[in-house]
Amino acid sequence: MRGILVIAGKDLRNLFLSPLFYGIAGLCSIAWTLVYFLGLEDFAQASMMNSMQGGGEGASLHFVVFARHISLVNLVMIFAVSAMSIRLFTEERRSQTMALLLTSPVTATQITLGKFLAGLAGAWALVGVSFLYPLSLRLFAEFDWGPLIASYIGLMLITGCYVAVGMFASCLTENAVMSVVMSLIFNVMLWFIGALSDASQEPALTKLFEHLNVGAHFIGFIKGGISLASVTFFVSVIVLMAFLTQRVVESNRWR
Amino acid sequence: MSTPNTNMIEVSGLSKSYGPIHALHGISFSVKKGEVVGFLGPNGAGKSTTMKIITGSMAPSSGSAKVAGFDVFEDPIEVKKRIGYLPENPPVYGDMNIESYLTFVARLKGVEKSKVKSQVEKAIEKTDLGSVRRRLIQNLSKGYRQRVGIAQALVSDPEILILDEPTSGLDPRQVAEVRSLIQELKGEHTIILSTHILPEVQAMCERIIIINRGRIVAEDSLEGLASRMAGTLELKVRVARPGADVESALRSVVGVSAVLKTESGYTVNVMGTGDLAIEKVAEAAVMSKSGLLELRKESADLEDIFLKLTTSEENQKSGNVSAGGVA
Repeated sequence: MRGILVIAGKDLRNLFLSPLFYGIAGLCSIAWTLVYFLGLEDFAQASMMNSMQGGGEGASLHFVVFARHISLVNLVMIFAVSAMSIRLFTEERRSQTMALLLTSPVTATQITLGKFLAGLAGAWALVGVSFLYPLSLRLFAEFDWGPLIASYIGLMLITGCYVAVGMFASCLTENAVMSVVMSLIFNVMLWFIGALSDASQEPALTKLFEHLNVGAHFIGFIKGGISLASVTFFVSVIVLMAFLTQRVVESNRWR
Repeated sequence: MSTPNTNMIEVSGLSKSYGPIHALHGISFSVKKGEVVGFLGPNGAGKSTTMKIITGSMAPSSGSAKVAGFDVFEDPIEVKKRIGYLPENPPVYGDMNIESYLTFVARLKGVEKSKVKSQVEKAIEKTDLGSVRRRLIQNLSKGYRQRVGIAQALVSDPEILILDEPTSGLDPRQVAEVRSLIQELKGEHTIILSTHILPEVQAMCERIIIINRGRIVAEDSLEGLASRMAGTLELKVRVARPGADVESALRSVVGVSAVLKTESGYTVNVMGTGDLAIEKVAEAAVMSKSGLLELRKESADLEDIFLKLTTSEENQKSGNVSAGGVA
């Protein structure tokens, strides 16, 4: 356990002491601010229209503003996490520090878990930044926490998947560009596996691909529901990717 | 725990192939506790590969390696706890400062929490890095990075130190410092160091293993190796009036096996090592009345031994030095 925390601690410390994280967080904020502002405008307009028509069920703050914000955060995270994951293994291998980890009394599993925790904490820190937007709205409006919290749990789980995929991509290569591109492609593929359900004729296969539909699982969270099946799905993706990474790290000894 | 006279490192029949390239061909040797062993060989001889296998970061194709009684492949964690390793390229993080880097390594190597700080201090002090301890490693010169690499190997106070070319990239003063540091560490630690720089092993090691093309070609103490080379003596003779006279006079001396004309005189190979042989050659040179200016004994130093072992191996496989001494 100590080995895991030592590795994770080092990576996190270096991430937060480097300009990289702040650069990425700053750039993300620009995109988020723009779209969040537009969402608020739309909401204000819709509410105005509603009150002019005599009230009743108005526009939902959650769906007009938050859901849009969260989908954008999700999209941006695919890129941001892919870029940040280079640090996990690709950088280690490029700077030849992998030799230090491999000759230290830690197992490949501990190295992998340490790296994953560091990546996860970094990604969740970005998710935390994005949470400031709905939080700030709390100063001006009352809203229901439930769906927002559920959405953020979904967001944390899905960024966990991106981190695991990014970590796997980064352990495959010493080339930073290759690492980012692979991570992006794997992450985008994750979103499109579900689309195969339309293409398959076999009912059993269709059903299987429906279960692998990331979008469907994620929308469930945005709607405010936390289903066990969805949590299990995301956790399985993370475990699978972490397992593959562990195998690659272990294989360093055999090459 | 091991007692003073046991083997700290035992390597037997180690082979390693990278695809069709055979880096090691059944290497066997052992290192006793507290010994300082030099691994000598030209570039690409298999030194680094052997070290990687001992440190548990690479698996051999066949054979086994044991460190402090633990098999490198069955108990890698136990082995790694006992080894401080400096790879060819110091494994440093450019975006950390020396102090936090060493603290990280100490924790990673499982140094007890209460001792981390003092161990880091000790390593900084030993490698004389105090003045730059808060500088980012990426801003340091190659020599300093190399020292950080050495500090990193020392920081867990390991029983065994494995140093792959510890003085590469250092300036002459730093080389001298590293050598004296290794002298200091003698006794406390078992040390294996690799190099292709001869004076280095001469200065630091008690025992030398010469390795070439993945095979051990000699394993002995420095004196042992030198005495193996004995048996022939090389004399440089410089005369004022070189000519056929002096050449034939030198040839006629008992024991002289060859006389070669060089730019400045003659090189005379004599069988036997005693002063008597030198005296005889001097006498012959003087008697020929060609004006003896200089008579110099070329001692067979490590460089000669090394060149002889690593270059002529294939033409004289059964030369005077075989893979003898392999325990």
